Amino acid sequence: MDYYGLLNLAADLGYGLLESGAEIYRVEESIQRLLHAYGIPRADPFVIPNCIIVSFRTPQGQTLTQVRRMPSHGTDVDLIERYNDLCRRLCREIPSLEEAQSRLKDIGQTRRCYSFPVLMAAYFAVAAAFCLLFGGLFRDALCAGIGGLATGLALTALTLLHANLFFKSMLCSALSAFLALALTHLGLGSHSQLIIIGSMMALVPGLSFTNAIRDVMAGDMVAGITKIADALLTGISVALGTGFALGLARVLWGV
Amino acid sequence: MELIQTYLLPVLFAFASSAAFAVIYNVRGQGILVCATGGALGWLVYLLSAPLLQSDIAQMFAAAVAISVYAEVMARIRKFPVTGYQMVAILPLVPGGGIYYTMEHAINGEIDAFLASFLHTLGLAGAIAVGVLLVSSSVRMYQSFHLSRRGNRP
Repeated sequence: MDYYGLLNLAADLGYGLLESGAEIYRVEESIQRLLHAYGIPRADPFVIPNCIIVSFRTPQGQTLTQVRRMPSHGTDVDLIERYNDLCRRLCREIPSLEEAQSRLKDIGQTRRCYSFPVLMAAYFAVAAAFCLLFGGLFRDALCAGIGGLATGLALTALTLLHANLFFKSMLCSALSAFLALALTHLGLGSHSQLIIIGSMMALVPGLSFTNAIRDVMAGDMVAGITKIADALLTGISVALGTGFALGLARVLWGV
Repeated sequence: MELIQTYLLPVLFAFASSAAFAVIYNVRGQGILVCATGGALGWLVYLLSAPLLQSDIAQMFAAAVAISVYAEVMARIRKFPVTGYQMVAILPLVPGGGIYYTMEHAINGEIDAFLASFLHTLGLAGAIAVGVLLVSSSVRMYQSFHLSRRGNRP
């Protein structure tokens, strides 16, 4: 058996899962199961949000280890599902390493994404629906939707420019809050607070905070604490961005 | 009419926002419907438990538990990882308002109000996390109990 090939397969699978935003325990478990199915009784994957280490001992007594560095990434539920499905299949069918590797590559290459207009419509809808949910009028929802759309556009542009996460959320929240205040000033919106809350919901790190607490409770302390720090910093940068817009509006229009 | 105002409309909006979030997180096909229904269910539980619990932290906890149970059931039925659906369905509960008001108090220099709303927001987020955790830990315990009874300890 080609144990180097197996090590590559396991590390690539883990990389794919983590890159699409899977939880830490899922990545570790998947790697372990895969290696177990291919005849490694004991493997030690160690995963934190930006690093994967896979190590195991071959039956000949050789220790093989691979380290993969993970850049910052988003969440793609569709990819998580497909990688997870592939992992189950590989564990059940145990195909040859070449075939497994090519199936894995296949998933990465045939990534299904929503088209740009659909994505922007989703950003619009998120902000508008939240504004209504918190008690805004329909005009407010329209303003929030515009803010959400601006957030989506800015996020896409800044991601293309490789801006870091905190700068991204600060800039986007400042932009959407400023738009909300400007539209209220022009008379289109009436409750600027609700508009701002609605349009910043797509940026708020509530989700990563919940996931972080979960990791801590599951015993993945390093991963959990890293994610809590990340969530807190993102939250602070959203607040800073919004605060900047509020201050600017006060200077401009005295509201 | 009042029923529509207080229950139906918010649930509808929660449904819409979850569906839109599902698109942003690249959920496909029927999964969108599953996520959106989860979001609507969570908000419904949040609203319905108000007279009973009378504290929004406890209500948030109840809603998080309801969504997690729903997500676990749907994951079993559709044979997909549970988290994707759960994450998206929980998003409408995230205390965005709390974060905003905390920030506003901080800018205005109202230290007391700032601290109060900060701790309250933290409490809300914690309630969601604990609710999610309670269900997922219970499910894991149940699964390992089953495995050990069948004699093949993991």
